[in-house]
Amino acid sequence: MKLLRSKPRHPPFVGFADFYFLGSLNLVMPQTAPWYQDAIIYQVHARTFYDSNGDGVGDFRGLAQKLDYLQDLGITAIWLMPFFPSPLRDDGYDIADYRSVHRNYGTLEDFKSFLDAAHQRGIRVIIEMVLNHTSDQHPWFQESRSSRDNPKRDWYVWSETDTRYRGVRIIFLDTELSNWAWDPVSKEYYWHRFFSHQPDLNYDNPAVREEMWNVMKFWLDMGVDGFRLDAVPYLVEREGTSCENLPETHAVLKELRAKLDQQFPGKMLLAEANQWPADLRPYFGNGDEFHMAFHFPLMPRMFMGLKLEDRKPITEILQQTPAIPDGCQWCLFLRNHDELTLEMVTDMERDYMYDEYARDKNMRLNLGIRRRLAPLLDNDRRRIELMNGMLMSLPGTPIIYYGDEIGMGDNVNLGDRNGVRTPMQWDGGWNGGFSAADPESLYSPLMLNPVYGFQAVNVHSQKRFEHSLLSWMKRIIKVRKSAPVFGSGSIEFLYPANHRVLAYIRQLGNETVLIVNNLSSAAQAVELDLKRYKGNILIEMFGRNIFPRIGDLPYLLTLGSYQFYWFRLRRI
Amino acid sequence: MAEESILTDDFLRELMNVGEVDILVGMPTYNDAATVGQVVQAVRAGLIKYFPRQRAVIINADGGSKDATPELVRAASISDLRQPSGLTALRTLHSISTQYPHGGENGQALRLLLAAADLLRAGACVVVSADSVNIEAEWLDRLLRPITNGSADLVTPLYHRHRFDGLLVRNLLYPMIRAMYGKRVREPYPSEFAFSGRLGSYLLGQDIWSEDGGNSGAEICITISALAGNFQVAESFLGSRGRIEHGPADLVHAMRQTVGVSFWLLDPTFPAWSATTGSQPVPSSGGGPQVTLEPLRINRKRLHQMFQVGVAELEPVLKSILAPPTLAELQKEAAAPQETFRYPDDLWVRTVYEFAASYHKSVISRDHIIQALAPLYRGRAYTFLVENIDATGEQTENKVEDLCLTFERLKPYLLEMWDGRK
Repeated sequence: MKLLRSKPRHPPFVGFADFYFLGSLNLVMPQTAPWYQDAIIYQVHARTFYDSNGDGVGDFRGLAQKLDYLQDLGITAIWLMPFFPSPLRDDGYDIADYRSVHRNYGTLEDFKSFLDAAHQRGIRVIIEMVLNHTSDQHPWFQESRSSRDNPKRDWYVWSETDTRYRGVRIIFLDTELSNWAWDPVSKEYYWHRFFSHQPDLNYDNPAVREEMWNVMKFWLDMGVDGFRLDAVPYLVEREGTSCENLPETHAVLKELRAKLDQQFPGKMLLAEANQWPADLRPYFGNGDEFHMAFHFPLMPRMFMGLKLEDRKPITEILQQTPAIPDGCQWCLFLRNHDELTLEMVTDMERDYMYDEYARDKNMRLNLGIRRRLAPLLDNDRRRIELMNGMLMSLPGTPIIYYGDEIGMGDNVNLGDRNGVRTPMQWDGGWNGGFSAADPESLYSPLMLNPVYGFQAVNVHSQKRFEHSLLSWMKRIIKVRKSAPVFGSGSIEFLYPANHRVLAYIRQLGNETVLIVNNLSSAAQAVELDLKRYKGNILIEMFGRNIFPRIGDLPYLLTLGSYQFYWFRLRRI
Repeated sequence: MAEESILTDDFLRELMNVGEVDILVGMPTYNDAATVGQVVQAVRAGLIKYFPRQRAVIINADGGSKDATPELVRAASISDLRQPSGLTALRTLHSISTQYPHGGENGQALRLLLAAADLLRAGACVVVSADSVNIEAEWLDRLLRPITNGSADLVTPLYHRHRFDGLLVRNLLYPMIRAMYGKRVREPYPSEFAFSGRLGSYLLGQDIWSEDGGNSGAEICITISALAGNFQVAESFLGSRGRIEHGPADLVHAMRQTVGVSFWLLDPTFPAWSATTGSQPVPSSGGGPQVTLEPLRINRKRLHQMFQVGVAELEPVLKSILAPPTLAELQKEAAAPQETFRYPDDLWVRTVYEFAASYHKSVISRDHIIQALAPLYRGRAYTFLVENIDATGEQTENKVEDLCLTFERLKPYLLEMWDGRK
């Protein structure tokens, strides 16, 4: 049989090693998709991953040393959390210098070396860019507050009163009483949507817009592949509005995108906008704003659907998700560095989620739950696999949060969201293999408990066994990468009468994949209406076993507790 | 297995799709299109409001309606394909319909619901009548809450009732069942009631469903089986209950469904009731039974006439049922003019007990025994109407209480007849 090889799309990023396997099926391949549509993104903070110099804090040299691990895992892109100089009062989202690297993580040269090493392995690098605000320690703000007639005064949003933009919601409810903070130096209030030590930049000022593009250009020139733009709905303020998602904000973002396309084609912008799908849609514009955006409302509903054993929350939110322009993509995730946000759910749903996933009040933060994936799912391997199965098969680019591939736990006794930012657990030895420093000098305590501690959960031990979670994650990533349909295919839900079963068809060109998920803790039987595919046989994608041909009758499947199937449909 | 014979393959397939549930709402119907829509809406609203997290299903057992009743019930479903406007539900709510085999017999419908509840492992079940035009969402909470919080296995309703509504219940069923089983259940023949999965499984396993009693008087069967089986019974006040009138009631048919079934169950439950003395109230919530006093036109003269005719025409039958002193006393009362005629408590209770004993002994056809009791009941109903014509609600309740105490006091008389000492 003739092998059809797909042309590498983004040299030197061949990717899709398994794509060649598909070639033997004599498929007519669709037009290749942009790299980010087929990516598997790994989210990590340099601080948390590996400490190369024994100072107790992870760094870029350490991260570079662990790139082989990430390549072996199969991920194709790394999303780095903020690594800029910062007073670190918000885990680096309070940037004090946009053109350098925090000394804890190394030097700019270290970063460049890491970037080159990642590229050599076919791994792209996405960095964080906090557009909305700076640290109050940033020289721009220091200048701005120094006097009311300083040239940088208008780089931030100042007011004589704290009554402007009345009614705008406060995001960090647990810590902030107002979006205005009094500056005793210049005797005016400044606007901040997040912590009061994070003053918002004034995007009505063309100089600010120009300077932020220059910052981005600085990193693009160095070779980064994309930006995750933080807190984008809040860039511009207008009286009488919610100061979120304003047309003026979209105009700023479109301006940045136009410059990016013109000067750095192939690079990517990812929006962090915790909004409802209909409000998120404008961030894609007409394909001229963001390339990708996080699908925030889906994530809590996946957990809800699993606990309810009912697909309704998942299908409903995806039904409400508008189509996005060609070349755009959703970003899907199960967990990240923040709390499991419950802003995009109803009060009833939030109460349910709290009761089911955060009975201990310590687990709650702001409007969310600060827990990792494995503890959220009671360390139940079947549920962890099912959730990852959905993450990898629903339409979008999946993001894996560091440590979730081995089932790391969390420590809710650490403040803020630090409980989900503990050191990566590499082995069962000194400091879990993370650092040679004294344990007392680590940036964060290691997980020590007998269930999730580094001696029980670590990369080294899981590498040894074919059936470990890590090995399973490698397999599912490999299977996902073998079928471009997962990255950019269409989706059609099947709605079988059994509501505990979530079934959908992904299709791209003449490649069709059927996914069937049992959300229930009990075995289920389900009848699927597959009449349109009559004559096809099903090939289970993990074991490649053949299942019966689709006939005239509803296709009957039985699924064990939390089991899922991925089938490739073949007409032979 | 018994349930295999009453569940169709299609219905089983639907149950398979529903899966395990926490709450099952059962709704027997037969040509109820005029009312069933508002009932299912109230049920759905009640489930969403009071039990949003519980897995629930509405199951309609239809007797072969020709007016699209099942379609109206199915329309109550909430799924990812059907989300009614204005309602936000966490879960899928299946609303499914099936036909039960013997059109018109409620017992088959209830048995089918019990079988479904058993298969779905429902923790709590509630049965609502499709013609309860006053039903409100709160009814679901009031009936189900004692079940879901584990404090009861059977919850029967309390209603606002007109003082002359439910005469058969007040003059016979309530007092007699109270005296037999020692629990004061005001509505032993409920149209709406809730029960635990535990009780449901027990009932399904009882050998009552192949008999006439289980077929035609299933509700009273359920109450009595729960009482005799020592299950926890509670009452919940629901408020007013309006019903669509379906035409003149057939008294004999009603008595077969209620009195006949009560008599029939005295045999299998003898160990339970024979050892019981006195009575205790059952836990109730939401208030006690309330009596309304609006004027009501009742043809008392006709009631009296039917009583007199019945006593005269059925004398040979009554002779085989009643003890001679009782019959003599009855005939004496029947001879009295309408103005002075009364059927006193003591005589009425002895009459009922002697009928029950005769039913037990099958001195004549059991159905004839029930038919013969109908005219006598009319005499008792006439007496109740006359004695309470100007009474307050409290006075009416006191009369009912007096009758109950008479049933309890004379219970040894029934026991003597039962074992042949009399």
